[in-house]
Amino acid sequence: MAGRSLGDSVIGWYGDVAARGLDSHPDAVRHWLMAGFRLMARKSQFAPDGRFLPSGRRGYALFMRSMVDAMADPDNSVLTSVFMPTESLRALGLKPVTSEAIASFVSGAQAEGAFLGCAEGAGIPETYCSYHRALMGMAESGVLRPRRLLASTSVACDANNLSFKSLARRWGAQSAYVDVPYDVTRDGIAYVADQLRDVTHQAEDIFGRSLDESLLRQMVARSLATQDALEATLPHRGERYLANTMTLDMMEMLDLHLLLGTDEALGLARGMGDDLARQPAYDGAKLVWAHVSPYFLGSIGSLVDCSQTAQVVAGDMMFDCLTPPEGRLYDETHPFEAMAERVVRNCFNGPATRRAQTLVRLAERTGADGAVVFCHWGCKETSGAAQLIRGRLEGAGFPTLVLDGDAVDRANCMEGQMSTRFSAFLELLQERKGRVHDSQ
Amino acid sequence: MTPNSVSVERSTGDRVEARRDGGHVVYYACKYTPVELLAGFGARSELAEADVSSFDEADRLAHPNLCGYGKGLIERLLRDDVREVVLITCCDVIKRAYDVLREQGDFDFIYLLDLPHKRGEAERRLFRARLADLADRYAEYSGRSFDVGAALAAFEPPVRSTGDHVTLLGAHATRALLDNVGEGVGYPVENGTCTERHLLVTPPPELARAASEGDCSACGDDAGAGVGRAGGTLDTFLDWYAGALLNQMPCMRMDDVSQRAKLHGGKGQRGVIYHTMKFCDYYGFEYALATKEEDLPMVKIETDGTSQSLGQLRTRLEAFGETLHGADVAREAAGSREGLGRGYVMGVDSGSTSTDAAIMDERGNLVATVILPTGAKATESARRAKAEVLEKAGLREEDMALKVSTGYGRDNIPDMDTAITEITCHAKGAHFLMPEARTIIDIGGQDSKVIHLDDRGNVLNFVMNDKCAAGTGRFMEMMARTLEMSLEDFCRTGLEWKHEVKISSMCTVFAESEVVSLVAEDTPTPDIIHGLCESVARKTATLARRVNGEAPYLMTGGVANNAGVVQALTNVLGAPVATHEDSQLCGAIGAALLGLESLQQG
Repeated sequence: MAGRSLGDSVIGWYGDVAARGLDSHPDAVRHWLMAGFRLMARKSQFAPDGRFLPSGRRGYALFMRSMVDAMADPDNSVLTSVFMPTESLRALGLKPVTSEAIASFVSGAQAEGAFLGCAEGAGIPETYCSYHRALMGMAESGVLRPRRLLASTSVACDANNLSFKSLARRWGAQSAYVDVPYDVTRDGIAYVADQLRDVTHQAEDIFGRSLDESLLRQMVARSLATQDALEATLPHRGERYLANTMTLDMMEMLDLHLLLGTDEALGLARGMGDDLARQPAYDGAKLVWAHVSPYFLGSIGSLVDCSQTAQVVAGDMMFDCLTPPEGRLYDETHPFEAMAERVVRNCFNGPATRRAQTLVRLAERTGADGAVVFCHWGCKETSGAAQLIRGRLEGAGFPTLVLDGDAVDRANCMEGQMSTRFSAFLELLQERKGRVHDSQ
Repeated sequence: MTPNSVSVERSTGDRVEARRDGGHVVYYACKYTPVELLAGFGARSELAEADVSSFDEADRLAHPNLCGYGKGLIERLLRDDVREVVLITCCDVIKRAYDVLREQGDFDFIYLLDLPHKRGEAERRLFRARLADLADRYAEYSGRSFDVGAALAAFEPPVRSTGDHVTLLGAHATRALLDNVGEGVGYPVENGTCTERHLLVTPPPELARAASEGDCSACGDDAGAGVGRAGGTLDTFLDWYAGALLNQMPCMRMDDVSQRAKLHGGKGQRGVIYHTMKFCDYYGFEYALATKEEDLPMVKIETDGTSQSLGQLRTRLEAFGETLHGADVAREAAGSREGLGRGYVMGVDSGSTSTDAAIMDERGNLVATVILPTGAKATESARRAKAEVLEKAGLREEDMALKVSTGYGRDNIPDMDTAITEITCHAKGAHFLMPEARTIIDIGGQDSKVIHLDDRGNVLNFVMNDKCAAGTGRFMEMMARTLEMSLEDFCRTGLEWKHEVKISSMCTVFAESEVVSLVAEDTPTPDIIHGLCESVARKTATLARRVNGEAPYLMTGGVANNAGVVQALTNVLGAPVATHEDSQLCGAIGAALLGLESLQQG
């Protein structure tokens, strides 16, 4: 909380202006927010953050551009959940945008409080996931413009089942819900594939377009190649200086979901690999991160952002499906099945042990020194699994910190306590690392 | 089916044998649990009540930020008497509870049944296959064959209440909660919560015939199997049962919940109560939508899933009961006192910080009032308040035609004729003090409430925050203490603010931490206090929006004396917020007025 930077103060003022006009002038607030986002998008393109690697600058700019495009063009934008496969929607020329990205946009502008209040005033429970509360508040206030189609999966979050239906009802729009079975079976994948076909047909009807199946196959082939390229970065992530921040990691994670299947996403993943291969070796503490992060908390960010002493090397949101090519049942010749397989195998689907195994594997592949399980407010899937995951990671030799907070709502973050715990954990890792060095 | 979804554990053959002899009891938590299928294997299914005394183990093994039922379930199912468990992938919390139980528990049999979110033919087929897998696993574990007669005998016919009743919807309700609702509201309670089975069909005659003809496996492909699925009978049963179970009245986790509209407005239904818990979001959503679309008396209550949190619900449930019954309660009391007294009525409001009393004559004129601190003994304070107000009015207790109590201590005041909740009394009292007011904002010592009124002072809707200190007088007291100031100095100093300071948290603990940080940054004290006032105002305005509050506003309760909060509320609500010098007497005046009205009507 202490010592706000000039940048923070400017953004705080920008967010306050938005918040104050919310009740009376939602259109003006939308224009105000969009003006700021456009400015940031231009900045990321023409004056990017010099600390980042070329791929990082590209990832940042890509996120800003895709968000501004989707927000500015609601008629061609589909509101989706983060793990919803979107290649077929992209193949129809549509612009998917997720609740996580929208909420991050407003919390980045320090304007989340007003939207969260708006949602609570409409009766949305205050213990509801704050990504979804912010989304509902934006819709409730009229700042978020209606979409014609909303599409979500049951993976990772019960809130998908509520928010998307509720918004569709409010907007008189259609809502598609993809029910993902708990287990990985061929029947389950076929069931999801059929639902993805249905969503695509629904989109074709709503937007009056026809799917080019060969284009879809190309996109799915790129998705698989993107995942392989991303997986190939893992060994480098453990060895090299990543020059990353929690904000950048969130943006790249969202790029690699929202834009999966595009040339941009494939270029981003390959660019990461190329950049990392040229980076200097890294000797600081290496962390694997579970779930989203409170990227806006300066005191936490200052400990890992572009830091030589500690960096986040991988997270389960970005590496949510680590199926090697030989383990896959389907490829681009069965595009809907391949998309379905990805979501059924997602580590956020199924038992908590699947997610724990993914995190252990990430830690092993990167040679991480420890892990952080971030319990985002209202996410019962993660909170309920936190101690089990910690047990599995520690059992595999990776010290683990369970950190409570909120990745959207500053009011749910006890920043002083959080940074003390996080700092102490890093000290523990560094001391442990020192002992290992000494013994060698 | 992967090993992830099922665990069949036989620790020892002896234990399984012991279960066979002692009878199988399967604990479950969801209305989609196939209790009839399990009954076909001779198992008795028991709903895990989860009314536990603490969540210590659940907090340690999982996380505090799960719903109370999920945490209670972990605590309950880890006890030694639970040997068999079947859970459903019905919501995030139950899935995680299963993970914790599998990791930590020592069960003979534990199974997670994956429930589709949709109810089409593809889903019915998937669900049928999963039920068949459960049947196979349970048969293998228990060594028993399926008996369709036992399965059919376990069916309870779908019968809905048609006499006068209220319906409890939402999250799982303990027996104690159901009793509390019945007592508080004064009507029989129909249980429609998420754990209560609600099948819409009965078994077809073919199944009943199969049962009466005995096990027909001898005619089927599995003839001679002896132990297990009993072939054709089980298949015939599952063909029907998968659809019947899946197509029962849907819970909110289903994709299509339009059928749930039938839960509102049935014959004899006087009102609906929604039970919610923190970190269970489904029913808060449904309630918000239902209040917009349905013209039916509804109220939302929140518990932590245990009977320990029920005490705080009393006021809310009784107030809801009063709106359903009209002013019957006071009228009944008036009827019993007809002809007594000289036409004076007394109202006594036993609150957490003050005890107030008012005497009114038969024309509705205030004769005398007193305000006393409640102190440590509420009953003694009420006795003193009664004595002092009688003395001030120059009257005796026998002169009172009716004595009505209200407030938190209303049931503990001796020699009163009846008790009415502070919601109803407050509304009536506020209407007396400021007839044009349509929304009353009352922030007292330990709770805050917003009441939306009609033009006659009747309650249209209300909302209370009484679960924590957030936004209450106690919050302000604690913040004043953090700043090492008296409450009076705190209120006065806050008016001298110059710069906006944002306090984002309303939680007393979080806000205190923010205040400490601001003090460390040398932020001027008046600015911090103003930030706190704004924070309270924002929280209160959110409550006001929930009841569709409208101007003119009247603010009552102790915090109405803090001009900073009143000003901040005016800003946030965009309309003037009035106060009244007698606002603290609102409850007592309202109680007296309701007494007077009942005498006049009776």
